[in-house]
Amino acid sequence: MLRSKWFLILFVVFIGAGGPTLFAQVSPEIQLGARGVMSFNTDVAEHKATSAVNDFSDTGLLLGFRQKLYNNFRGQLVIGMQFPDANSDLGQVFFHQTFLKIEDKSNILKMGRSRVRSALIEFPTLRDDDALYFTDVLNPFSSGEKTEDNQYGNVLELAHVFGQRTWLRVHGEHFTETPVFPATTETDFSLNAVGFSLQYRVPETQIWNRPFLQQIGIGFNNFLTDRPGYTSRTDKMLKNVSFSTVLNLRPDPVHFWDFRMQGIYNAGFKEIENVAAFGELARAKATAGFASLRYLYRKLERPTLQLALSFGYKTFPDLLHSTDQLQVVANSFYRLGENFDAGFQVQYSRNTGDLAGLFGESETRFQFGLVYAIDRSWNRQFSDRNSLLNLEHGYIP
Amino acid sequence: MNRRDFLKAGAAVPALSLLPEALLAETTIQENKNKFPNALQPKMDGDVKVFELFIDIHQQEIVPAFKFHTLAFNNQVPGPEIRVQQGDKVRVIFKNKTELNHTIHWHGLYVPWRMDGVPYVTQMPVMPGQEFVYEFVAEPYGTHFYHCHWGTLLHMQSGMYGSFIVENADDPIKKQFPYEREYTLLYSAHDTNFIRNELNGMLERMKERMYLTKKGRFDKERFAVFDTKDEFAEAVKNGYQPPYVVNRRAPSDLPQPNWFTVNGKSYPFTPNLYIKEGESIRVRLINGGTEEHYLHLHGHDFWLVADDGVPVPQPWQQNTLRLSPGKTLDIIIEGKNRGIWTFHDHDTRRVTNNGLYPGGNLLALVYEDMPAEEAGLGMMAKKMGLNSLPIVALDE
Repeated sequence: MLRSKWFLILFVVFIGAGGPTLFAQVSPEIQLGARGVMSFNTDVAEHKATSAVNDFSDTGLLLGFRQKLYNNFRGQLVIGMQFPDANSDLGQVFFHQTFLKIEDKSNILKMGRSRVRSALIEFPTLRDDDALYFTDVLNPFSSGEKTEDNQYGNVLELAHVFGQRTWLRVHGEHFTETPVFPATTETDFSLNAVGFSLQYRVPETQIWNRPFLQQIGIGFNNFLTDRPGYTSRTDKMLKNVSFSTVLNLRPDPVHFWDFRMQGIYNAGFKEIENVAAFGELARAKATAGFASLRYLYRKLERPTLQLALSFGYKTFPDLLHSTDQLQVVANSFYRLGENFDAGFQVQYSRNTGDLAGLFGESETRFQFGLVYAIDRSWNRQFSDRNSLLNLEHGYIP
Repeated sequence: MNRRDFLKAGAAVPALSLLPEALLAETTIQENKNKFPNALQPKMDGDVKVFELFIDIHQQEIVPAFKFHTLAFNNQVPGPEIRVQQGDKVRVIFKNKTELNHTIHWHGLYVPWRMDGVPYVTQMPVMPGQEFVYEFVAEPYGTHFYHCHWGTLLHMQSGMYGSFIVENADDPIKKQFPYEREYTLLYSAHDTNFIRNELNGMLERMKERMYLTKKGRFDKERFAVFDTKDEFAEAVKNGYQPPYVVNRRAPSDLPQPNWFTVNGKSYPFTPNLYIKEGESIRVRLINGGTEEHYLHLHGHDFWLVADDGVPVPQPWQQNTLRLSPGKTLDIIIEGKNRGIWTFHDHDTRRVTNNGLYPGGNLLALVYEDMPAEEAGLGMMAKKMGLNSLPIVALDE
């Protein structure tokens, strides 16, 4: 502790005294990502309709700074804020991304608050968490009030890229524990999950000349829980295995079709025989699958219309009452102009057994929304890892 | 090692090559010859001189520690020099090894119009993997160059230019100013960030377009290629968004060059001009870039002898000339003032590397017969541990 204090003092003195005044700084690359999602929602559950006139959760802003470092490394800082879901108790603004990244051609180290590796791939839904119970390994430390608990955490991740397309990631996370324990026992940065994944994936820039297999991956997520009645670390570990693949059914630049699926097996804890709360849901043995069929029409080298149909199913074999979950999502997005889409989504969910009590038997949600998403860089100084020049004509750091 | 041995052996450390003594070393003089574009050797097919050019993506190191992706003829920037005699029958077999479209325009040459290399005007673009054969008679004599005429703003500054010299046995310039040695200097300016972004974008679009082309699904609106102006205007009336409108792809920032090269290199790796006392040398200056250069030679007035390859009726003397984009100018330098003299762009924004001075279009005229004693040590240099005085200012 004493040592770290001294380090902090020296660091502050150095920065304060010498940093900004002695040397002119090289301007970094500045990256701006913004996404506005506004929707009108109508939920119909058990013949009763409720509506939200203006739901703008998932709206967010990302600000990034990148710079070349010595010895062919690059460094990056990303700060991001998001408008959280209603009733999430996260306040008006949630800092969902605040991380530092350092990378060279083959290695990437990422530290900070970011998206946890709870899913191997993304699915075409209006919002990231629309099918969360099927698409993500669930956080067993969460009370379930906010979906962000499952998506964001404090992350320490090391990735190694083999031959541009095979990614090995080893990651440790601190998943949010809710309700928050007293400060004396809660240490925000301790790891309560570890995992790794291995993925083959074709970079987006090469989609047109890689005809069929776009992605295949396997991942392991292990949560270091406080499982009552067990002392062994292995016994207290909640284990999840994921598998995913993305197939280009028709890699046509105008009429593009792809199919993607992901399965998650949660080994669960055998003593969980009933689910009355989210924590039990995340700790019960379960198998989930989610699959999407997507059609994309691209008129002038830009996406113009997207139609997607997704289906999810989840079963809980160890529960005393036969329990399963089902979800169907159909949506379409139409481009109104550069970066701006109008979207419509219908989402049907059905729950049986214990989950009918937790989430209700069924719900149908209709959403009509507008989405504005930009991704822009200024003062660019180097190519992205997955640029065609770097991939196919020799990597330049 | 004595002083002579040092001069013979050349500089052991690259930084020393900037110093006068190192410039006079035999190895430096020999290495310097490689900094001029190599002449491409033709094969003879009857009485036709056949040259083979290919284009591929290449990494060019402008100066140590700075590389960028370029489009390079025969894997070099600039492309190899083509040198023929006036009246020669020339055939250039051009092979496109990239995934982009290209053509070759023969700048300043009287080629048949179908050989002029303007896409969709004189020929279809040479598409990925295709070959195109250019044939013409080499006219007129003088200093000319060739360059890509597809996506010219991007492709030229990416490296697609090379010298094309047509010699004449009765060259009036050589008669008026007898010379043995001549040099070709090709100037260019590069916005390496623009090049990288645009090349990546074009490569991505071309992957998509070639997929469709192979399937026989050419789409006029997607490719932005129409039969007539009326057809294009009609398409816009019906809702077509051309690439240049801001609700489709523009604006893309106009390039702001941050690197300035001579024969593909920036100072301190630019080529030097060697001369002897009493000797005249001819220097062919070609601007293959987008910027104007105001080239100034210290300690001399040179003769401007040709403009766009055409001998000027009355050569005149000056020490600073304006080399505009697309221009070729020939000068004769007479070895009348022994020393080591800088020859540089007097718009000193172009004597920079990525914004830092010195760099860019800076090179030296070196009297190779200068006695070593004259390039001797200064006391201050000795105190600094140098072997001689630097020939240029440092950046501080």
